[in-house]
Amino acid sequence: MSALNNLLIPAVLFFALGVITRLIRSDLRLPPDLAKMLSIYLLMAIGLHGGYALGEADLGKAFNAVVWAVALGFALPLLGYVLLMATRRVDRMNAAAIAAHYGSVSAGTFLTAIAYLDNAGIDYESYPVIMLAVMESPAIIVGLLLASWSRQRLAVQDGGVASIETGSNNGQWRSLLHEAMTNGSVVLLIGSMAIGAISAPASMEKLFPFIDEIFMGVLCLFLFEMGMEAARRLREFRKVGFVLVAFGLLMPLIGGLAGIAVGYLALGLGAGGTTLVAVLGASASYIAVPPAMRLAVPEANPSFYLTLALGITFPFNVVVGIPLYHHLATLVIN
Amino acid sequence: MHRLVPEKLVTIITTDVLEDRLVSIARNRGASGYTILRARGAGSSGEQSGMLDADANIKFHVIIPLERLEGILDDLERLMNKRYQLTVFVSDVAVLGSDKFNRPLA
Repeated sequence: MSALNNLLIPAVLFFALGVITRLIRSDLRLPPDLAKMLSIYLLMAIGLHGGYALGEADLGKAFNAVVWAVALGFALPLLGYVLLMATRRVDRMNAAAIAAHYGSVSAGTFLTAIAYLDNAGIDYESYPVIMLAVMESPAIIVGLLLASWSRQRLAVQDGGVASIETGSNNGQWRSLLHEAMTNGSVVLLIGSMAIGAISAPASMEKLFPFIDEIFMGVLCLFLFEMGMEAARRLREFRKVGFVLVAFGLLMPLIGGLAGIAVGYLALGLGAGGTTLVAVLGASASYIAVPPAMRLAVPEANPSFYLTLALGITFPFNVVVGIPLYHHLATLVIN
Repeated sequence: MHRLVPEKLVTIITTDVLEDRLVSIARNRGASGYTILRARGAGSSGEQSGMLDADANIKFHVIIPLERLEGILDDLERLMNKRYQLTVFVSDVAVLGSDKFNRPLA
């Protein structure tokens, strides 16, 4: 019943409409910058909202949430890398790039989960929002470290050809780390949270039409476009292969369970908050991480990691994952 | 009769995350300017729809005198050796008002 309810909310239905639009080869084309504009709005709104709520929240608990978010962000990509290497179907560089996506988070999935909880009338804490902001960067850093380690291993195998290059990589490293920490979505999210937290409550209330009332409508538009983008990736399934598709379905389950453990056991959140942390653990980034990996791990094939994150894991989480994690979180807590 | 002067046009098609690198290559190698267009298409990196940050391409144009061409091509080859996916081609063009092509940007 609850699974069906999750599917029957406008945001998810628009995602489905996006997929259908692409499958029936409709001539509908959205303006090229729409997704970027919408995601800027969504990040700003969720940041302001979260910051406003955090202004009244317990600082110690917020700090705890940050620490656990960093831990998840570092642990999940390492686990993903080990799993991918165990399949023996991808090379080290692709494994590093794919793993980074699974340690980072998808704001789209997180917001769909919020729509799900709102729809079901379930309360949730504001701490997961700060975790959303924190979890973008560690995974990118782990991805860079894994890639550079893999590169050295490969160089040793090849007789040290590439080791000549490593000397000049220091400056590049600094710029890549800089990129991971100053990534557009991180800056926007953390900045909006700060503004939400320190603004006078009365002036924040004036913003509610912007951040609250039109929020779900914008989310529908965003998911509509993401549905079209996800369906565009479906074509690449064959290229990716069965084993990677299986990884794209298994990894969110592992991440979701890890998220439930962190949300409930470590942070003591309720069913709503725990569901959101599970979604953070389960989701794979398709906005922030892919460009970072394109720059840092040119050896990896973008169509692998984009197909997995956007074409497989994202739809899985939206349709199956979110109600499942909520169900599990409720079971664990009761 | 117009005074047309032969120059080389280097065209690069690649992911837009490399834009900054290409700009600094063009500057360091004494280009007088460059033009960047948004591009989409498909190739070895899959379809580049231009709808997401991750799959947006650019088409980078730089016109340069023959004697500065080698340097740019060296740098681009270095990027390719790092396994970045670049499509690079050089064409012969003739320019009007050739003076400005000899003045490096900075």
